[in-house]
Amino acid sequence: MTTPKFKLLLATALTSMLLLSPAMAETLRISYSGDPKTADAQMTSDSYTLPLNIFDRLVEAETTGPGVSALVPGLAETWGVSADGLTYTFHIRQGVKFHDGAELTADDVVYTFDRMLNPATKALGTDILTFIAGAQDRLDGKAETVSGLKATDTYTVEITLTQPYAAFLALLASPQASIYNRAFTEKAGDQFGLTPETTNGTGPFILSSYTLNESEELKANDTYFRGRPKLDGLQIRVVSDNETLRLLFESGEIDVFDLDYAPSAAPYFYGSDQWKDQIRSGPRVGIYYYNINQAKKPFDDVRVRKAFQMSIDRQTILDKNYYGRGKLEDGVLPRGLACYTPSTPIEYNPEKAKALLAEAGYPDGVEINLEQASSWSSQWSDMYQIIQAQVAAAGFKATIITTDEAAFLAARKAGETNAYTQVWSADFNDPDNFFYTFFSESGSKVRAYNNNDPEVFAQIEKARGMTDPEARCKLYQDLATRVVGEDAAWVPLFSLDHSYVVQPRVKNFVVPWNGWSDMSYYNVDIE
Amino acid sequence: MLMFVVRRLLASIPVLIGITAILFVMLNVVPGDPVALMMKEHASPDVIARVRAQMHLDDPIIVRYFSFLWNALQGNMGISIKLNRPVTNLIAGAFPNTLMLAAAAALVSWVIGIPAGIISAVRRDTVVDHLFMGFSLVGVSMPIFWSALLFQYVFAMQLKWLPVAGFYGPKYLILPAIVLGWSSAGVIARLTRSSLLEVMRHDYIRTARAKGLREGLVITRHALKNAMIPVVTIMAIQVASLLSGAVITEAIFGIPGVGRISVDAIQSRDMPLLQGSVLFATVLVILGNLVADILYSVLDPRIRSQMRKGGAS
Repeated sequence: MTTPKFKLLLATALTSMLLLSPAMAETLRISYSGDPKTADAQMTSDSYTLPLNIFDRLVEAETTGPGVSALVPGLAETWGVSADGLTYTFHIRQGVKFHDGAELTADDVVYTFDRMLNPATKALGTDILTFIAGAQDRLDGKAETVSGLKATDTYTVEITLTQPYAAFLALLASPQASIYNRAFTEKAGDQFGLTPETTNGTGPFILSSYTLNESEELKANDTYFRGRPKLDGLQIRVVSDNETLRLLFESGEIDVFDLDYAPSAAPYFYGSDQWKDQIRSGPRVGIYYYNINQAKKPFDDVRVRKAFQMSIDRQTILDKNYYGRGKLEDGVLPRGLACYTPSTPIEYNPEKAKALLAEAGYPDGVEINLEQASSWSSQWSDMYQIIQAQVAAAGFKATIITTDEAAFLAARKAGETNAYTQVWSADFNDPDNFFYTFFSESGSKVRAYNNNDPEVFAQIEKARGMTDPEARCKLYQDLATRVVGEDAAWVPLFSLDHSYVVQPRVKNFVVPWNGWSDMSYYNVDIE
Repeated sequence: MLMFVVRRLLASIPVLIGITAILFVMLNVVPGDPVALMMKEHASPDVIARVRAQMHLDDPIIVRYFSFLWNALQGNMGISIKLNRPVTNLIAGAFPNTLMLAAAAALVSWVIGIPAGIISAVRRDTVVDHLFMGFSLVGVSMPIFWSALLFQYVFAMQLKWLPVAGFYGPKYLILPAIVLGWSSAGVIARLTRSSLLEVMRHDYIRTARAKGLREGLVITRHALKNAMIPVVTIMAIQVASLLSGAVITEAIFGIPGVGRISVDAIQSRDMPLLQGSVLFATVLVILGNLVADILYSVLDPRIRSQMRKGGAS
């Protein structure tokens, strides 16, 4: 650290403290529990508010109703798919400008996807593009370009896949598929997305300030191709403490309070005369579930897994721990997802569970571990204790093992976990996002299900390429019956509503279709 | 004096190297993969393996350690795995914020603690003494997360005198400085009181009084200087500790300081950032102790004389 540099930084910090006001007029003030780290959607896997507001995608998943979405044109005005399902042709909107004034062309699309597949980028979201022909060679460093990506003219992009993939269009609506400008991004290099000077998109907002671990500020893009946003700006404050967040909201310093960050505050807001009409809720197209590791005893026995399913009183947990704000799920797909159909309800029957355990050779019960990470929500921690007590009635002597998240992930990767809970909200509106994630050969291993059923693996791979929607959905329904009903490979719990409390001045706030905390604020307004 | 400082600084080099080695070994023994942590539930074995190889995280530990050490000796602490920014820039960016908080907290602590300790000693066993010591006991005992919440609720939410959290102007420092400073002031007050009471039992204080000096002069000219020796030590160490980052205070009040970076580095197993943070904190502690020793010599001529003779302190 050189002395002049340190003096400059100290002076900057002092000056910014004196001059900066907390927010501009007509600025929506929201919060994040942790710093998003970057605006570069290719370099993150869990913070998408910046990409969703600074960039656009070829297609967008528009929220058309609670938990419902439709794919609409984004940067691509129209598109077509070849009869064999392999070639997608996108016609780019003409006249769309990046924040630096450069015009969007097909070459930018080709560049963006090539950048993600370029091993030098070290991108995290490459899975969304691996279906493209030549993608694997590019990732492996065997090719300098991606053979399946072509700009056939200034405004036309052709993408060729290695096999038909029904979810490809839906994937292109996910934030990882945000489109960048070639010239600017190449020049910014590894600084892209880290500062306002090195961030450039086509989106409704422009990154104007980025202070790590403090806040980011975005200002309205006056020349946005869909029309200027109603807001003048967005201020995203990093607030890691739940109580501080609640105080900030109640004192009027923040406009939107995401109840996911402080779920224990939900009863207060729902019961408050001041706030109950300011709550905005929407279903979350996501599922809370209990993982079961079949590679570890006693869960290698399907009877034990079924007993575990039957010994959890999910309705009571939903009612007491989550204030009844959600619905039980019994399959793999949550409500609202494409191909969703109700599955056979999982019975809560601790007596029957006990009998199954005895049949499996555990008449006196069996010890299991329930693993959790200390950084997870306190409501999850409460749920663990509830489940520990519930499954005891069936004979499961559960020990709750709490570690930090790094140790938990390491244990899971090593296949050492017994059972843990998690939630998965849809990245894109397709059943592949759930089945492949959990029960494909790689998903089953990396998430420590070890549901090593070659037929299930084959069916999941087959479903990816099916082009007949009805047949595809039928296949997923059969898979759900097998995986959940017959194999008891996991315990589906429930899908929960996602609730926010907003200040009275906030208008047009809509919970996104998938119930994410990350969303676009383009349509939001302030009175 | 100069030789003393040089000797102390040279002696700290093996300490720093030792700490980097211990940290390196610990982070490789403790479970956790920084790439898997970045991807969390979106973990894909292929992507994790590829990114780890690209970041040289699978190189032999000896190779990685000496590569890090060589770069560190040239002032390059590497790039944060999670934040993808130079570690030196991250710490240099956060430190001014921590410095401001530490300076404000230290000021609160000294302005409250030292006078409270002096008054308590002078008014020993009176109501004033019990009041001040009770106040300091509460400051020492109350967890910072609790006092922070209390202050936020009373002064920000109810009275609306101050902001709840954030770091946008001088007034945003007031609450966190009071929360941190109150805790430190308690220690300073109690130590000042006990040290002053000890010094005031000495014969030369009795002699000073016998000479007819006013009590105020006896305390300020004769007693306080010697009584401050242990207090100065604690003050220097407290400042060093504050400069390393008050993690809880920074998290509650939303101050982007060194403490939050350090905790983030641990949780995300970000080796370069953790090495940089720990090294930085170690340097501060070493400097803090050195400053305390130098102040000792300023206050106590016996120690100054020893230093001149080259004796270890």
